[in-house]
Amino acid sequence: MTMRPEISRLDTEAPSERERLLSLIFRVAMVLVLLLGAWQCRHGLPVSSNLLDLLPTVSSDKLRHAADAQIQKPLTRQMVALVGAPDRERAVELARGLGHLWNHSGLFAKVQVDADIDLAAVREQMATQRLSLISGADRRRLMNDPAAYAAQRVRELADPFSVGGLVPTDQDLLGLARLAEKSLRPPGKMHFDLASGTLLTEQDGKFWVLMRAQTSGDAFDQRSPTAIAALVDESRASVSKDGGELLATGGALYAAAGQAQAQAESGWIGGGSLLGIVLMLLLALRRWRVLLAFVPVAAGLLCGVVACVTAFGSVHILTLVIGASLIGIAVDFPLHYLGKSYGLPDWTARDALRRVLPGLSIILAATLVGYLALLFTPFPALTQTAVFSAAGLLGAYACTVCELPRWLRGWSPRPWKGLPHVAQSLLDTLSIWASRRTLPWLALGIALVCAGGLLKLRVQDDLRLWVSLPPALLDQAKRVGEITGIMPTSQYFLVRAPDLGTLYQRQADLGQHLDGLITQKVLGSYLSLNQLLAPESAQQQLRDRLRDPSWRARLTPSFETVGVPAATVLASIDNLVNLPPVKMTDALAGPLGESRRDLWLGEQDGQVAAIISLQGLRDTTAVAAAAQGLEGVSFVDQTGDLNRSFASTRWEAAELKLLSYVVAALLLWATLGRHATWRLLAVPLAASACTLGALGILGQPLTLFSLFGLLLVSAIGLDYAIVMYERVAGAASCLIGVVLAALTTLLSFGLLGLSSTPAIGNFGIAVALGVAFSVLFAPWVKPAPETPHPPKH
Amino acid sequence: MKRFIRYLGVCGALLLGAVTAPAHAFDLPDLQQQLQATPVVRGQFVQQKFLRSLPQPLTSTGAFVLSAQNGLLWELRVPLFQDLLITPEGMFRRGDGGKWQALPQQIGAGRETRLFLAVLAGDTKGLQDNFDMQVSGSAGAWQLVMTPKSALLKQIFQDIRINGGKLVDRIELRETQGDRTVMEMKNARADNKLNDDETRDFAP
Repeated sequence: MTMRPEISRLDTEAPSERERLLSLIFRVAMVLVLLLGAWQCRHGLPVSSNLLDLLPTVSSDKLRHAADAQIQKPLTRQMVALVGAPDRERAVELARGLGHLWNHSGLFAKVQVDADIDLAAVREQMATQRLSLISGADRRRLMNDPAAYAAQRVRELADPFSVGGLVPTDQDLLGLARLAEKSLRPPGKMHFDLASGTLLTEQDGKFWVLMRAQTSGDAFDQRSPTAIAALVDESRASVSKDGGELLATGGALYAAAGQAQAQAESGWIGGGSLLGIVLMLLLALRRWRVLLAFVPVAAGLLCGVVACVTAFGSVHILTLVIGASLIGIAVDFPLHYLGKSYGLPDWTARDALRRVLPGLSIILAATLVGYLALLFTPFPALTQTAVFSAAGLLGAYACTVCELPRWLRGWSPRPWKGLPHVAQSLLDTLSIWASRRTLPWLALGIALVCAGGLLKLRVQDDLRLWVSLPPALLDQAKRVGEITGIMPTSQYFLVRAPDLGTLYQRQADLGQHLDGLITQKVLGSYLSLNQLLAPESAQQQLRDRLRDPSWRARLTPSFETVGVPAATVLASIDNLVNLPPVKMTDALAGPLGESRRDLWLGEQDGQVAAIISLQGLRDTTAVAAAAQGLEGVSFVDQTGDLNRSFASTRWEAAELKLLSYVVAALLLWATLGRHATWRLLAVPLAASACTLGALGILGQPLTLFSLFGLLLVSAIGLDYAIVMYERVAGAASCLIGVVLAALTTLLSFGLLGLSSTPAIGNFGIAVALGVAFSVLFAPWVKPAPETPHPPKH
Repeated sequence: MKRFIRYLGVCGALLLGAVTAPAHAFDLPDLQQQLQATPVVRGQFVQQKFLRSLPQPLTSTGAFVLSAQNGLLWELRVPLFQDLLITPEGMFRRGDGGKWQALPQQIGAGRETRLFLAVLAGDTKGLQDNFDMQVSGSAGAWQLVMTPKSALLKQIFQDIRINGGKLVDRIELRETQGDRTVMEMKNARADNKLNDDETRDFAP
């Protein structure tokens, strides 16, 4: 403790015992928060930019979660790049070079240029599993018409151009391995290039070599997306210098773009609002020490971040963007007593604080109610912002009340004398209007305009509001999709059954519908487990059939005509029949199962489940209809579900907003009485209504985020109403305080309206409009009949 | 012992002479030039597939037409009747109605079916991307040995050996796993252009 001079009891700036204690508690608490924050940063900044962190989990179904994660995996961890060049060798060479560079960048867990077919493993799997791996159509042909099957196989044998199968003809006389090879063919338009061992295709006069990369660690952690994006840009430049072209797409690139944008925006929005507020404070109070008002802001931001990391493990970059605007609200607390210097000739910080403290506390409580209401939405984005803002406000409030007066001791601002005159004349005009009954007509006019705007208001919620991706990135992704023919969708089918046999049957039933949709060009293609392996019952049927002497008798003659003795054919059939039955897990473990490995969800709670993934989906409704009437089959549309949950959360947020009004009303009733309650609530209600109307007139959609902005507006409007109602130090100084507070809020939230992320922009516009209307309506509040909280001492 | 050493010396001298003596050996560009000098070749073929489990090779015979420009027409007649066509666009089989049907390309075949076209037409440049090529002999009797370059192709083909004089006489494909295919061209005749029937056949 430092030594301090004795202070006379008459000194209004001397802190009371209680105030000293509070200050001590605050300081200890802040040190603890700082320590906690430092500990949280022990593994680097706990900031996340994964959009998925902010989205609600739509379903509580365990299997559905597992399936969602499988479908998301390529989205978050995988990068796909195409290296193109006018000739094949060049394309392969360039891809190899890049592969080498990327492999040594340390940014990827695995970079694949070569298709990595382990022929020995493929041969092994085909040799042991070929009887089970052939497709349903081939199996039926072999079983039902052995003569025709043999005739065709014999043609292949006589054809010099069908040499070079993976399993030599000698071991595959019936050609089953050749049929099973089909499942090795990569999906889409890419094909194996045996000469180079890469996946290759030809389009737009160029040869394109496919590169696949797995990012190391989480694609959405802080550093790697930026580094990957930089590497891709660098690679693109070097490839085009060598006469080639590089196309790349992947979750990491999207994350990097979003991150760069959020960082840039939080930089200039935060910086811009900070600068604006500093200028405003300096102009209004004309003393450097007024900048101490930012200390509560800093304390608030610190508390917000630490609380968020404590509650969620990390703080999202979008939360920080919105959080940066908390400056505008947090700075209101010190402004509420600094502004009083306009009305109190012998202003001191401690005295002014004592006068406004009750109002300040009611304001804090009302604002907290507004934020905490958001905690009850199932939406991590809102929950996180609520926690951040609530903790931030508490921190700022505590700092304003406990610490700031001590620092402002002996200091007085130099208010600008012209300002009270302007404020007073505005108030006088207002009271003249009130006496002439102009106000009710004005109110009626405003109400009519609002109603007109409300009729035009359109409701919109879409996942796309969250992201504003650079068109160049989307173009690349589109071209990669066109060239590879791989256009994965987040929609898929989830098929469950009590046992494997039923699962096969259900997949087959669904497959029939889907085949129809493919011929109608509604769907590009689909991947299912049925395409890989025959069900065990079908395997058994085939085996029985192969043992049947009359079936054998119809198979052998064709072989004999080309010189293969019947005995050799029969011996090879016996070999096939003696192969052990193949289980799903066996088939998936081999190289032929690779493309479908992620479709198998395994056994859980006595159920087996699998995914059927879709490619090139053109009509979601038509494809969704394919699941109708099929037991155990459900169509999963993540994007659609999210959009629906946005919409439902929007109404939930609206209900919560109404509820927060009720709570605020009760709070006001308890503290200020019935008389004050309706007058005070009229301001935020009118401001909200006008904001909705204005959004309609401006053609802005009502989204979850604008509604969230309105939630804030109701709290802010109530603040201003309370200040005007309390009239500490006169109406004019209160108006000045309200206008200053509104300007700071506009400077911070209003600037958010310029964000290129639609969600943030919507939020900013709603708050800016709401604050403007609140300032307009707050002066209409009549003062308290007598000062209910006379200054103590 | 002395005699043996002298013998070695003689052998060494002979070997050196063999390497240095010819002023200009028959090489790959020569072979290419020689094969491409004939735009159309017609003839008969005998194809034998040697499978390890069979005592006798699978034998088939028929006729072929090779056009440097259009591709290869392969008319199998014994023991079964089957017409195949290989063009730079792909591989086709004649269906029951006489129309060409495209055959699906398989791994191990795929674009490598064009290899045959390249071999027969003497397109050594196209082949060099995938194979190491060794030419020996003279313009009248040469042998070309093609060894696959890529690890993947090596697991399928051991090598491809082609013998010929003015035209290609014999092609032998040796698969890594032991199967072997030999094609012998008989009565091959060079021509300058396709006849009308053939022109129609080469339009799948």
